[in-house]
Amino acid sequence: MTLYGWLFMGVSWILIIGLTVFCFYRVLVEKEEDL
Amino acid sequence: MTQREKWGTKLGVIMAVAGSAVGLGNFLRFPVQAAQHGGGAFMIPYFLAFILLGIPLMWIEWAIGRHGGLFGHGTAPFIFPRLAQNRFVKYLGVIGIFGPLVIFIYYIYIESWLLGYAFFALTGKLLSLATPESMTGFLLAYQGLAPGSNILTAYFFFLVTFVLNGLIIYRGIRGGIEKLCNIAMPLLFTFALIILLRVLSMGPGVLDGLGFLWNPDFSALVDAKVWLAAAGQVLFTLSVGIGVIMTYASYLSHGDDIVLSGLTAASTNESAEVVLGGSIVIPAAFAFLGVAGAQAAARSGAFNLGFVTMPVIFGHIPFGQIISFLWFALLFLAGITSSVSLMEPAVAFVRDEFRVERKIAAKRLLLLTFVLCQFPIMFLGQGVLDELDFWAGTFCLVVFATIEVFLFIWVFGMDKAWTEMHHGAELKIPRVYRFIMKYITPAFLLFVLVFWFIQQGWATILMQGVGEANRPYVLATRIGLIVLFAGIAYFVRKAWYNQKISGEIT
Repeated sequence: MTLYGWLFMGVSWILIIGLTVFCFYRVLVEKEEDL
Repeated sequence: MTQREKWGTKLGVIMAVAGSAVGLGNFLRFPVQAAQHGGGAFMIPYFLAFILLGIPLMWIEWAIGRHGGLFGHGTAPFIFPRLAQNRFVKYLGVIGIFGPLVIFIYYIYIESWLLGYAFFALTGKLLSLATPESMTGFLLAYQGLAPGSNILTAYFFFLVTFVLNGLIIYRGIRGGIEKLCNIAMPLLFTFALIILLRVLSMGPGVLDGLGFLWNPDFSALVDAKVWLAAAGQVLFTLSVGIGVIMTYASYLSHGDDIVLSGLTAASTNESAEVVLGGSIVIPAAFAFLGVAGAQAAARSGAFNLGFVTMPVIFGHIPFGQIISFLWFALLFLAGITSSVSLMEPAVAFVRDEFRVERKIAAKRLLLLTFVLCQFPIMFLGQGVLDELDFWAGTFCLVVFATIEVFLFIWVFGMDKAWTEMHHGAELKIPRVYRFIMKYITPAFLLFVLVFWFIQQGWATILMQGVGEANRPYVLATRIGLIVLFAGIAYFVRKAWYNQKISGEIT
């Protein structure tokens, strides 16, 4: 695993996990409306 | 008009859409695609495709579906005319019922293999198959493709899988699909995390595997095939362009936030794919088989990795029996949350447009699909399953996505589409997406369509690579697909005519 490999894996993971956490946080804090 | 079904909670619909998107491809197809197309460098076109193609298509399909639900419609043949004010576009919408129905017919059989393998992992049968050769022999015998073998065991697990799917579909949106996905999705992520931790503790070879997947080869970026592979992977993994998301979104209320829900479902799918899917199969293969063995296994294809390489590896490690069971249970959960969604457009069409109760609609369609499922089961070795996958799982998907974008953004109009997407949304889509949705996304789709057609589409249509003995079966499959498409188009016309007579359509 080269330095670039770690970099690509780290950045990809951070972007995706960050987006997922942000989305679920917003979903859970938004008022649950009647669906 | 009868009351349409509704989702129970916001989280429920997100889990259902994510469940539809997370499938076998996340854990098997993605790592092979990435490893074969530049490793870490593959993520550059992959992320660009996700931002320029995947996310816009997700929002567009959610918005079209919710818009259709306002008028009591859940499928494309009756939603498209609301966008285009043209009664002929309903026939383009037939693809949105035909495609998922055909995928269901063969996908459920593959899903049943996973259930069978989970059972054999639990009983220890898979542990006794220590080499790739013996595991391949077992797979061929299970599929009835080895000399002297039969499909009795496979057929038993198909029946169990079909009944399970049928019960969930029969119970409806809130009582069936939403309940399943609320349980199955957290379970799926838990299983994947346990397997991931076990794989990461397999030794120094794991780092070689991660390196094989993530070390970037920047020279790959000048190759159009790499860009096509990335765009194709994003398109297939998100389940956009099938018609399922449209139907799911039609069960929303008009005030629901589709911008956030769509983005959450997409990011959940990406977590399953890039973080979990990218860290299990290839690293495990490298840790156990070494560099040369793992590269050979990766070249053998995603399907072989899942059904042959992985159980052989798990059979040689401590706690392998449990890990092997979790592996196939994980894939089965990924499969069933997708397969129940594939039937929903057809059920919604019969129920919405013929005013038939859901349970009656589900029963009729389950009976029809049970009969149709027999063809890929009985003629697996003759290429019927591959043929169905080509037309429904690849061709229809790209064509339908292109039609959706064109109708919603260009015909319905960007301003109205933008307002529709933002109705009830707390998150605002960046304005640059007006340009992306209008020009970049359709151009990207056309690029995928044209290059895919040149690369493999034309050869498949001309049956190049199909053995002489299999050609009649492939041809018969194509005729069957045309008949099915025409049959759905006939019922669309009939429902349209009925509604016109009753004054529901002017």
